[in-house]
Amino acid sequence: MAARLSRRHVAFEGSHPLVPATCLAGTLLVSMFAIQPVLSCVSLVGAISFSLCCLGPRLTAERLRWQLPLLALVCLANPIFVRSGVTTLLVVGPVEVHAESLAYGACMGATLVSTLLWIECASRVLSADRLLGLGGGPLPTVQLILSMAGRLVPQLLARSREVGSTLDACTAGGGPSSGGKAGRVRMTGVLLGWALEDSVERSDSMRARGWGAMGKRTSYQREALRARDALAAACLALLALGSAVLAWKACSEWRFYPSMPTLVPWLGYLPYCVLAAAPTAITLVDRARWARLG
Amino acid sequence: MAGLCNALEVRDLSFAYPGTDGGETDWVLRHVGLAVPEGAFCLLVGPTGCGKTTLLRLAKPELAPVGRREGSISLFGEPLDRIAADPRESARTVGYVFQSPEGQIVCDSVWREMAFGLESLCVPRDTMRRRVAETCDFLGMGPWFRRECSELSGGQRQVLALASVLAMRPRLLLLDEPTSMLDPVAERNFASLLFRVNRELGVTVVVATHDPRPLVDYADMAVSMEGGALREVSPDALRDEPDLAEGPLPAVTLGATQVQASDAWFRYGRDDDWVLRGLDLSVSGGETRAIVGGNGSGKTTLLSLVAGVGRPQRGRVRNWLRGSQVLLPQNPKALLSQQSVLEELMEWSRNVGYGRDEAVDALDKMGMGEELLPRHPYDLSGGQQQLLAYAKLALAHPALMLLDEPTKGLDLAARRSLARALREERGRGTTVLLSTHDLAFVRAVADSVTLLFDGQEACTQATGEYFAQSWL
Repeated sequence: MAARLSRRHVAFEGSHPLVPATCLAGTLLVSMFAIQPVLSCVSLVGAISFSLCCLGPRLTAERLRWQLPLLALVCLANPIFVRSGVTTLLVVGPVEVHAESLAYGACMGATLVSTLLWIECASRVLSADRLLGLGGGPLPTVQLILSMAGRLVPQLLARSREVGSTLDACTAGGGPSSGGKAGRVRMTGVLLGWALEDSVERSDSMRARGWGAMGKRTSYQREALRARDALAAACLALLALGSAVLAWKACSEWRFYPSMPTLVPWLGYLPYCVLAAAPTAITLVDRARWARLG
Repeated sequence: MAGLCNALEVRDLSFAYPGTDGGETDWVLRHVGLAVPEGAFCLLVGPTGCGKTTLLRLAKPELAPVGRREGSISLFGEPLDRIAADPRESARTVGYVFQSPEGQIVCDSVWREMAFGLESLCVPRDTMRRRVAETCDFLGMGPWFRRECSELSGGQRQVLALASVLAMRPRLLLLDEPTSMLDPVAERNFASLLFRVNRELGVTVVVATHDPRPLVDYADMAVSMEGGALREVSPDALRDEPDLAEGPLPAVTLGATQVQASDAWFRYGRDDDWVLRGLDLSVSGGETRAIVGGNGSGKTTLLSLVAGVGRPQRGRVRNWLRGSQVLLPQNPKALLSQQSVLEELMEWSRNVGYGRDEAVDALDKMGMGEELLPRHPYDLSGGQQQLLAYAKLALAHPALMLLDEPTKGLDLAARRSLARALREERGRGTTVLLSTHDLAFVRAVADSVTLLFDGQEACTQATGEYFAQSWL
């Protein structure tokens, strides 16, 4: 899947994984906990625009094709469960639909969709490989375990396909097919035996290369944390912290029920706007620079 | 090239695995003596199960099997026990590459795999970067340094296994059947890399193999192991290609078309490349057809479409024998699931209707004795597993056999047994479709050959005609 994504430049490619981790974790946390119309909108717009950069228009459209109906569903379903609110919009049988509960549903839906998109973009920017590099310094053994899991899981899946198709192909034997219960039990047995057998050779291969000989490990670092990266990460962390404090203030002054106060322009939204727009902005600036060079 | 002392010196070495009563027949190695000078490229040849692996493992302290050992081994003039005491010394002195490209890789990505050994030995970060970089450059791995191991081909994986050992800069390299799971192109590529490691880096190389031909041109010396004893042979004597056939194929009358593909197109995912691009194929009843062609030409895919496991996205694949077919996968482990060889052979006995005697007989035909019946299939060697899997399939009395690389990793004796069994199957009127890189095997068993290239049929000819006109 990852190999099929667009090969175009995306933000943070040249920086230490700490920088995108700070930026995206900050955005994601504020987005998840701040249910407020302005903040939810900012997060949603930021997520969609970065997803356009990161995943490309086609994949983004594919995501939105089911995520926007999800948003609408959450929005419309909320009035059924929540009867609070004072502004009655319409009455459908026993259900009174209030503007407040509709707005709350819309904010929840927007938060949900933007969270999904942010997570997908984050997984694209911070591949498992880079994420592991982040934890490699202090915890080399944990890094190794995760790396081994990253190898074994795809291997297991590929093998289960192979075992299943072999099972289905041997019709002359009259054995079970991979779809039935008996077939699944057999496949599990085959895969388990195969994996155990493999682990013997793998452990030999590890011991032959000095595994466990020294008691501790060093770790190979592909990406170095430079002063520039540390500075960028610190700035983004400050920005995220500021956004979080201001978002908390905005949320504490906001309520959905029984009636919503009027939204007013406020400079306090600005830091979060900057934070949510940063990944897209960096990508676009970089691409523009390349376009001029090209 | 030869240095002052031998890189590997084995003196009067005997070895028996535990659990045996110490009788004369229990010794796997008997009074073995071997001296490999520093900088040499040595071949250790012999059939599967003759004790090559045991000898190699005894020379690598971390892998030495437990058992009764007599005699001595020394590396570069140092007794092995002294080297074994210090893991760093052991890693610096001797590296070991295993047979299976799949099993010996530990990590998910290429660069992490290369660093694995260095990390284990607590090599400082700067040294590590340099070693990884130099090894990568030497082996030309730069273009795929950032790839995931699961995306690599078998040949690339084996080069990676070599690289991750070389990064520790051993002076002696021991390799156990390193090329037997590779296709001919990858095999030759690996052999030439090994030669460069030997000549340019001065690493002493000892390769255990049952098929020395791809390596013979590079070897300085060769020893042959038979019945637990070693005998020095000239590398030139290992050059001949053995004949698998026992006389020409007897004539059979072919029936109507049983398998037919017309304009078949197939790819695994919507965004993937086409694997088959308009393939046409027609196999008659009772025919043994070999599918040959390079890696990625679509041989395995074709077999799975014929088996009905996948469907072509365009065109049509028809198989009139689908109700009575078997498929031998590339890795026999995908087929083996029982607790013992006997249970494995008897798994389909009730459905098909055969008894224990026939099962024992089938095993015997593959050159394996009754003493293996109570053993667990995983206790057999890879070659024996392959033969067991074939015996199990043959017991199902299929009308169509689909065999994917049936001789992969097999030694000469096993290939002969398999060729004999397939000829017998042909005499019985079974239709066989097999994909292979093993041309000697094709010559011995196939009526006709289809060359697959770029997802299409490049040509189909009778076997004799195909080889007469072949350029290769």
